Amino acid sequence: MIGYLGLQLLWYFMQIIVSVWYHISIVGNMFESYFISYEVLNKYKSLHIGKLRYLAVVIESEEAHQTSKVIKLLQWLDSVGVKNVCLYDMNGVLKKSKDTIFQIMKNAKSIEEVNEDVTHHAPDHMTLEFVSYVDGKEAVAKAANLIFVENFKRHDIGGELDHQILLESHLNQALQIVGCKGPEPDLLLVYGPVRSHLGFPPWRIRYTEIVHMGSLNFMRYGSLIKAIYNFTKVRHNYGT
Amino acid sequence: MTFLSCRFAIFCFKVASRRAAPSRSSSKRSSSSLSISWLSSPSRGTSVRKDDAPVSTGITASVPYVSRKGVSPVVECGVPMPAELREELMPKHVAVIMDGNRRWAKMRGLPPSEGHVALVPPLRMVVKLCLCWGIKVLTVFAFSTENLLRPKLEVDFLFSHFERTANSEIEAIMRERIKITVIGDTSKLPKSLQKTITIIEEKTKDNSRLHLIMAINYGGKYDIVQACKSVAKKVQDGIIHLEDINENIVEKELKTNCTELPYPDLLIRTSGELRVSNFLLWQLAYTEFFFHKKLWPDFGKDEFVEALKSFQQRQRRYGFLS
Repeated sequence: MIGYLGLQLLWYFMQIIVSVWYHISIVGNMFESYFISYEVLNKYKSLHIGKLRYLAVVIESEEAHQTSKVIKLLQWLDSVGVKNVCLYDMNGVLKKSKDTIFQIMKNAKSIEEVNEDVTHHAPDHMTLEFVSYVDGKEAVAKAANLIFVENFKRHDIGGELDHQILLESHLNQALQIVGCKGPEPDLLLVYGPVRSHLGFPPWRIRYTEIVHMGSLNFMRYGSLIKAIYNFTKVRHNYGT
Repeated sequence: MTFLSCRFAIFCFKVASRRAAPSRSSSKRSSSSLSISWLSSPSRGTSVRKDDAPVSTGITASVPYVSRKGVSPVVECGVPMPAELREELMPKHVAVIMDGNRRWAKMRGLPPSEGHVALVPPLRMVVKLCLCWGIKVLTVFAFSTENLLRPKLEVDFLFSHFERTANSEIEAIMRERIKITVIGDTSKLPKSLQKTITIIEEKTKDNSRLHLIMAINYGGKYDIVQACKSVAKKVQDGIIHLEDINENIVEKELKTNCTELPYPDLLIRTSGELRVSNFLLWQLAYTEFFFHKKLWPDFGKDEFVEALKSFQQRQRRYGFLS
């Protein structure tokens, strides 16, 4: 009995140690974030932002209503040199806030206004893309439909539908036509309680780095810099 | 610290109450009547889209779950579920990207082939734990379409290794009633491996305890394209009309529709990489991600429990506005 009690006590002391360690690490992360924000830590002072050509930000729809926080996040990104940003939330809340965002982000343009490949344009303005669930799976279905319709026209009425003609490149082109212009993001930051991309267009996340940032309510500049810095240090093999 | 004080107080109470009352656990196991309960498992939930699309209800799959009253399947399997995990919160479909095998071999000064050999024991362990803990579908990313670009020697070794492993494990697979399905572009695999795959799929098609889906020469974009091709064929054959094509029609043609639970609840990726690398692109919309730093050959029971524990602690929204 004494041995049993002793083991249980030991178990609870171990749990105390683990909990203390967990809380220390949270506080440590918080301090690190502040040190990064105030440029105390040397390694985060210069970011090689060239590797990050396109950034996607997924925000949980409930939190996406906080337009001021979204704008603050965009301003942070602009200040570190990230110029091409895709904003996604499942229910299209961010799309509805588009006008407000463009009113405040005066140097930003919509991706529809930019004719050239956004990853190659001169970094004098930000390019913003607003995406929701309908631009994902539904867009793929529309793009496929477009290819089928074109195929039918080419083979005349009652003709054979050449289903072998459908390749990845055809879907890419068709997606552009139905309005999905954005490229594959290099990095995807998820703000919200869930560690999932919440239906971000599936065609575009093949090799995208996915980082969960926590709730938008507790977003920190230092955490953002750290996520971008860690991304720039990653080596991609792309399966080869 | 207040929380810990409460825990300590609860512990003292438990000790005191155990001294007062005998254990009831043994009496639960004396009866063993068989019961079948149907569990609703939302592998894809309701999505509420408020911008331009109407609200649509996702698919709720019901999976028969056989339990013995008073006897947990855990006890029959011999691997008890850790106390920190809850049976009712177990994911129904787990997907795994088994990454880090070559790095593991390189760190030990071994050739890449040794890393590929080392991928089998942790896979065996994860399969066993899935069997024991009620996970119904396990999808593993064994070989991607991009992996074909690796050196031929390595690719040939991998394919022959898959074939050898499949042939040597078939008895155990049948004994444990595991159903095997291979998804991917199998036409590009060696003929002997294609034949082995066909035989194993045929032999195990009626097994139902665990569905093990092996993604070999698979790519998420390939899956979407082949689904669209299947839809095109159905349009050509007059089975569906062009104007009826929507995302649900495309979904039904994906390779993962070989199971009633095509959408993973949890995706585990080892080796610290934070990408899905062209795996199940369409299917991962609401999947919880768990990225672990350990290389796959070092992935053990503790790490799997950590992933499950992390999953069980999360609040899954499936796109609901709560």
